[in-house]
Amino acid sequence: MLKRSATLAMHAPSQGTGGAPKLAPGALMKIAVPVVATVAALLVGLLIIASTGSSVTEAMLAFWDGMAGSGYNVGASINRAISLGFVGLGFIFANRANLTNVGGEGQIAIGGMFATAMALHGAASLPFGLAFVLPLLVGTLAGALWGGLAGVLKSSRGTNEVISTLLLTFIALPVVYWSVESVRLLRKPLTEVSSLPESAEIADPTKLPMLFPNDPTSPLHIGLVLFVIAVVAVWVVLKHSAFGLKLRAVGLNELASRRAGIRTGRLIVASMAIAGGLGGLAGAIMIQGQNYYLTNEFSSGYGFDGLVVGLLSRGSPLGVVVGALLFGFLRSGSIAMEITAHVPAAVVLICQGLIVIAVAGSTWLIDRKASK
Amino acid sequence: MTEDQLAVFIGSGLRLAMPIVLAGTGELLSQRAGVLNLSLDGMMLTSAFAAALASWLTKSPMVGLMVGVMASLALAYFQAVLSVTLRANQLVVGIGFNILALGATTFLYREIFGPLSRDTIPGFGKVNVPWLSDIPVLGPALFQQTGLAYLALALVVVTWALLKFTSFGLAVRAVGDDPRAADQAGINVTRTRYLGVLYSGALAGLGGAFMSVADSNTFTEGMTKGAGYLAITAVIFGGWSPWKTLGACLLFGFATALQFLVPAMKLDVPVAVLLMLPYVLALFAVAGFVGTNRQPAALTLAFRRGG
Amino acid sequence: MALLELAGVAKRFGAVLALDDINLDVARGEVHCLLGENGAGKSTLCNLIFGVHRPDGGRISFDGKPFSPSGPIDALRQGIAMVHQHFSLVGTMTVVENLMMGRARRVLEPREVIARMQRLADEYQLEIDPWRIVRELSVGERQRVEIIKCLLGDPQLLVLDEPTAVLPPEEVESFLTVCRRVADSGRGVILVTHKLAEIATVADRTSVLRHGRVVETVAMEGADMRRLVCSMIGHDIHTGDGVLAATLGLADAPAADADAIAQAAAHSRRGRDGGPPALLLKGVTYRDANGVTRLDDVSLTVHSHEIVGIAGVEGNGQSELGAILAGLADASSGQITVDGTDLTGAAPKDITACGVGIVPEDRHAVACVTALSIAENLCLGATERYSRFGLLDRGAMSKATAALMREFDVRASGPDAPMSSLSGGNQQKAVLARELSLSPLKFLLAAQPTRGLDVSAVEAVYSRIQAARDRGLGVLLISSELNELIAVSDRVAVMYRGRIVGEMAATAANREAIGAMMSGHSHA
Repeated sequence: MLKRSATLAMHAPSQGTGGAPKLAPGALMKIAVPVVATVAALLVGLLIIASTGSSVTEAMLAFWDGMAGSGYNVGASINRAISLGFVGLGFIFANRANLTNVGGEGQIAIGGMFATAMALHGAASLPFGLAFVLPLLVGTLAGALWGGLAGVLKSSRGTNEVISTLLLTFIALPVVYWSVESVRLLRKPLTEVSSLPESAEIADPTKLPMLFPNDPTSPLHIGLVLFVIAVVAVWVVLKHSAFGLKLRAVGLNELASRRAGIRTGRLIVASMAIAGGLGGLAGAIMIQGQNYYLTNEFSSGYGFDGLVVGLLSRGSPLGVVVGALLFGFLRSGSIAMEITAHVPAAVVLICQGLIVIAVAGSTWLIDRKASK
Repeated sequence: MTEDQLAVFIGSGLRLAMPIVLAGTGELLSQRAGVLNLSLDGMMLTSAFAAALASWLTKSPMVGLMVGVMASLALAYFQAVLSVTLRANQLVVGIGFNILALGATTFLYREIFGPLSRDTIPGFGKVNVPWLSDIPVLGPALFQQTGLAYLALALVVVTWALLKFTSFGLAVRAVGDDPRAADQAGINVTRTRYLGVLYSGALAGLGGAFMSVADSNTFTEGMTKGAGYLAITAVIFGGWSPWKTLGACLLFGFATALQFLVPAMKLDVPVAVLLMLPYVLALFAVAGFVGTNRQPAALTLAFRRGG
Repeated sequence: MALLELAGVAKRFGAVLALDDINLDVARGEVHCLLGENGAGKSTLCNLIFGVHRPDGGRISFDGKPFSPSGPIDALRQGIAMVHQHFSLVGTMTVVENLMMGRARRVLEPREVIARMQRLADEYQLEIDPWRIVRELSVGERQRVEIIKCLLGDPQLLVLDEPTAVLPPEEVESFLTVCRRVADSGRGVILVTHKLAEIATVADRTSVLRHGRVVETVAMEGADMRRLVCSMIGHDIHTGDGVLAATLGLADAPAADADAIAQAAAHSRRGRDGGPPALLLKGVTYRDANGVTRLDDVSLTVHSHEIVGIAGVEGNGQSELGAILAGLADASSGQITVDGTDLTGAAPKDITACGVGIVPEDRHAVACVTALSIAENLCLGATERYSRFGLLDRGAMSKATAALMREFDVRASGPDAPMSSLSGGNQQKAVLARELSLSPLKFLLAAQPTRGLDVSAVEAVYSRIQAARDRGLGVLLISSELNELIAVSDRVAVMYRGRIVGEMAATAANREAIGAMMSGHSHA
């Protein structure tokens, strides 16, 4: 009948969807809002400090010192950032499929616990670096199972993954507590001298190799290398791989994706497992790279902070890196601030809460700008 | 298990369940209207602290209670502004408020009370229901609770009646299932959702205040210990029905009470297992027994006219 | 004095001028029809009258006073009620509860509402059981509830947006009688439709809308139908333009029947000679999550070189059949065979690999992911073809998509434009392009393929399907537009309450019989 193919109005492709140039209208807002929110929240924090009568300058000095006052402190802040970053990466990965993983804390705990168990029971004598690689793998796998379980519940039962990952965290934490409470499990043998609930120290071969072994003041280990690899891998997969496109499709419209032939159930489980695995890896690295023995509550909120980092990054691996560094340095500063200047670390919690709320509440602003 | 132990178990189970019942019943209304209020824990914590503080200052637990509820309502209002008007992601907002509440209450507690303060605050005494409380075993357990506990149960009935018999309840149900249709029928979706969130804030406030002013007569940092999440889970477990939610809340309360019963019975169960028991139960609940076909269809979905 | 008057009303959505200089008036006791094809602006105009949108220009006066409602609630209060295309009923609640929604009372008084409902039912003959749950009602029954809901508020003006689109042919007449009675009771009625036959029955005056403007307003006495069609679509239609005539609900010329029968016979001969049938359904039964039987022992054959139409009012199992064929639901029992391969219970990927193309009834929910680009949508099912070591080759994707877009006349700014930026017609063309370019392709399911499309898009879609049929494809066409179905298909099967209640040749002569079967009156 009517064929007007010759006059098809096809201009050169304008703004794409996958590879949008950096100057797309929404991008500026995406960066500006978290920055403004962070600065504003920090100012509020300073106000609170001032209101308690503590000296703001003293607090800020202690804060700065803790963050970057020495080479060691900088390295420690970076190590903290690595843990946060892994959880954040896991979050944005699952979020691509519209899955919200809030179980980072539990995944760290489980990962660290299993890594410790592996390190203490058999890994120490393995050759060729397997001594530290195997516990890392085991920890990652444990975290992957923990996250994958939530994925299975979601795909087979429709269980909301926010609830299930949260519950799994509240289950994982007592499990770790149990493991360091019981000598039959991971607790180090009771002696007359000490009977703290913690594991024995892991053997040297199972500790992560240092990046600068000749510099005793640098706490940096190969966890940093692993993190960089992870950032690149996540970026490549999300942006350029078929798997990443499928993730995005499933997150946007599960039914249409299924119709297109994508096995959405498997995809959901896989993405939650990857998110959990990254969290487990973070836990393993914390034990093998810094702590060297397992304690109760060693995860100390890194999972939740990592979640915040993931939320703020709005899906960008680079955003995760920036956010992780920010929160890593913040944490170092806040610890020092509490010890030296006696300002409660809870102030930083307030700041974090404000940042999350501010960013969440401004999505309408970002979306409006982006659609213009 | 001795008679005494049983009585103590039932009594403490009920006592531990009450904050969850209060928060859960309020959350039920909010979720029926389509708003998942993840900041429930933060509301309870805020209220617990505010109630403790006010009660300590004025020596009146009643004033403490009212202040606690007001504090929680304030938080609920901001939650509503973000979730309903600004259409922010309800889950993220909830988590944010929880972090904020934890930080703020911890900070203020340290500042005002100091980290080592163990002052007890004036709290509600127990109410002895005459004659009924003389029944062996069940009597002391069921009928010697604080007044707030009976209020909690009354509120369950109130909520049930609200949903079933009033036009507000009808609006809540409509808005949660099909906000577009409700809007076209002339229902103010925004107002209904606001009221739902505020209702859950008020009841969460009662629940939090219960913990500090009626139950333990003190405040400790992070004292809610995830009770808010258990309440949310109870709503889902209870298939969004008031009575089943009540049942789920009681179940979780009793599971928590086991923490004290088991050592008393000299059973060699690791504390950790008891600690995680409520959450394991909750996980089974959301995994297995959910009546998903009764989930409010528009739950967590923001509403925009013409969208 | 006119009940409703619009003068110079305009409405803009972003850069698009949806309504331009609308001049319209409706009197009491009048049934005023709004005629126009899909996309002309009829729904926008109705929503504007009902307060959902605010006009960007012009004046509206209602009952002599200036009218600018703050929203639907305000419009209702002032006396304007609207029955929407997608009903404003909450499916999980009962009829009574839906009727009580939005009324001011604090405590619910169901008995009073039922009493009033009964009075209305008697006056307008709108019978309905108040205690039934809405999602279990048929579409026609739901519409009745909508109307009662509107009438409860005692409106002065009733606006009905494409109400007969969801009714079986038998019920259309009684519905139009209700409209007449409502107008006769002193109210004004605005009836929006694109079916000329209905206008002839019930309208006092008709306003024709085209591209957002009122082209003309005519009194129905002595009006020329052909001229109205001209005004509506901007050009005259030719005799024998069966599809177009069908879309518009014009009576078909009986002479075309002989042709159609001969053609259908020729097609079916080619089909039956050419090997295994494109689709073979044997005893397919489907029970949904609530245990309700939605498909009951359905057996059907579609040969190659033929188009089999499934007639039936929406909600009689067509959606479920479509879902099963697409692999999104599993039949409870029975067998599905495509080109000799058993595909019972197969996954969507395997179904597609066996040469099954699906154009689903819900474009936005099932056919495509609207936020992704056209290229991403068209290549989503075949990412292996466009990736090396797991990484996507977007250049190849764009090239292939651009070629398809050219071939199927899909208008967009480019293969990387988001699917959501396309018009409904172009989206459907894109989906069709994807499905028809599958290789191998043995069978195509097209479910409600022209819903919401303007006339030229309808033509494009059907001509593609027919061309594919001529090349050897077997097509199952599901549509609730009976006239279109008859014009395009070779054979028609009728679905009622989940069963195939009859099959016959697709001719205009059989139209009445088919219509009767659609309402449940079977002949055998």
